[in-house]
Amino acid sequence: MYDVIVVGGGIIGSSVAWQLAKRQKKVLVLERRDSASGSAGATDGVVGYHTKKPGVQLDLAIQSINMFKTLEQELGVDIEFEDACGGMQPVENEEQWDILSAIVDEQRKSGVDIRMISAEEACALEPNLNPDIYGALYCPLSCGVNPIKLTFAFRSAAVLNGAEYRNNTEVTGFIIENGVCKGVVTNKEEIRADYVVNACGSWAGELGKLAGLDIPIKPRKGQLAITEPVGPFMKNMMQCALYNVIKFRPETIKDQTILKLGASMSIGQTRDGGIEIGATREFVGFEDENTFEAIDTMMKRAARFFPALKDVSVIRYFSGFRPYTPDGLPMLGKVDALSGFVMAAGHEGDGIAMSPITGKLIAEIIVDGAPSYNIDSFSPNRFL
Amino acid sequence: MAEELIICRCQEVTQEEIVQAIADGAASVDGVKRRTRACMGLCQGKTCGRLVQGIVARETGQNPADVLPQKNRMPARPVKIGAFGGDEDV
Repeated sequence: MYDVIVVGGGIIGSSVAWQLAKRQKKVLVLERRDSASGSAGATDGVVGYHTKKPGVQLDLAIQSINMFKTLEQELGVDIEFEDACGGMQPVENEEQWDILSAIVDEQRKSGVDIRMISAEEACALEPNLNPDIYGALYCPLSCGVNPIKLTFAFRSAAVLNGAEYRNNTEVTGFIIENGVCKGVVTNKEEIRADYVVNACGSWAGELGKLAGLDIPIKPRKGQLAITEPVGPFMKNMMQCALYNVIKFRPETIKDQTILKLGASMSIGQTRDGGIEIGATREFVGFEDENTFEAIDTMMKRAARFFPALKDVSVIRYFSGFRPYTPDGLPMLGKVDALSGFVMAAGHEGDGIAMSPITGKLIAEIIVDGAPSYNIDSFSPNRFL
Repeated sequence: MAEELIICRCQEVTQEEIVQAIADGAASVDGVKRRTRACMGLCQGKTCGRLVQGIVARETGQNPADVLPQKNRMPARPVKIGAFGGDEDV
């Protein structure tokens, strides 16, 4: 008998498990494969403000990024946190400039320093950036992290605080008595708990089906590339302006290939020296192969913004799934339709940045009955 | 001595670190890879992949043939970004 079963041992599930274990809850984490084998193991480490939707999502991100400042110390492990490395989005034309400027005006209402700068200013900050741009969005306090290290740091800290992990354990059903979720059935046994947390990321919808819930979370494939290690090349974690345009104003995109692939440029240098280049957002189910069409688009865009990259070699293409929700906001909190069932999934491309606050709030909901910060906008009941 | 043996030359990962990763829950080449960076370097596991597979098998009591290699991905060898599309913009 456990207090809480967390289904999904990834970055979100492990953050939740750590926070619950710290508060003396008896926690069991069931992981179908292994931690970081899904999304966190195949993504960049952007911990940014400017990529968040103005309003509630940005406000939540601010809380989460504040937690990052002391996370390394609390977890006791190097997570390659790059505090205020900066975030930038080079803009190619006036239309993009106007779209981003309008979003930036909204984002600034949350009190974060996000601004539009000239091409000259952008190139002074990033000397390898192609000067042939219209300008850039700049967010000086945005940060970065190694998402794989962060996932395992959460997991180790959870285990140190008494949480139990089982890899290669698939949940195949739920124990539901009188409309209350009392535990799970796995490929090995039945396990009971007071609460079950769905932290399955892109697979959260699949898990929901087993509990009779129609959770509208869908996988969105993101393809990326990693290059050979090179010397110091860039400091900011960057996306091209299309990233925010696709995210916030998809209706303005005319190019069908860009729209279908959800292709924009994300780029940053890891502490190891490799340059991570992405990314796409594709609705192709759980098909995870790299495609020439996407690679071609991503590499051309990387070379367009950073011409010196033409001589740098890619050592691996890879892909991961981002858990999409219809309104772009995660599903966090208790499900009214099934008592004892808690959602912590659906962060799409923001799961790394949002992982600390998600763990904290879900633990508060379970331990204290309510979160310390109002997250009604993220209630899973808006869809269920 | 054997513990300090370097298994992944690209990322300088020792046998001891790999054994520790397995003790921490890794039961596959991918699990070791994500915990230690073994197989993540320039050669993408071409040199150390088999060795990691063997260590995982030995430490977890599996048959080496049952330990899956890491997922194969493009490119087979490093490819310059300039090989895609040249100067043409998108």
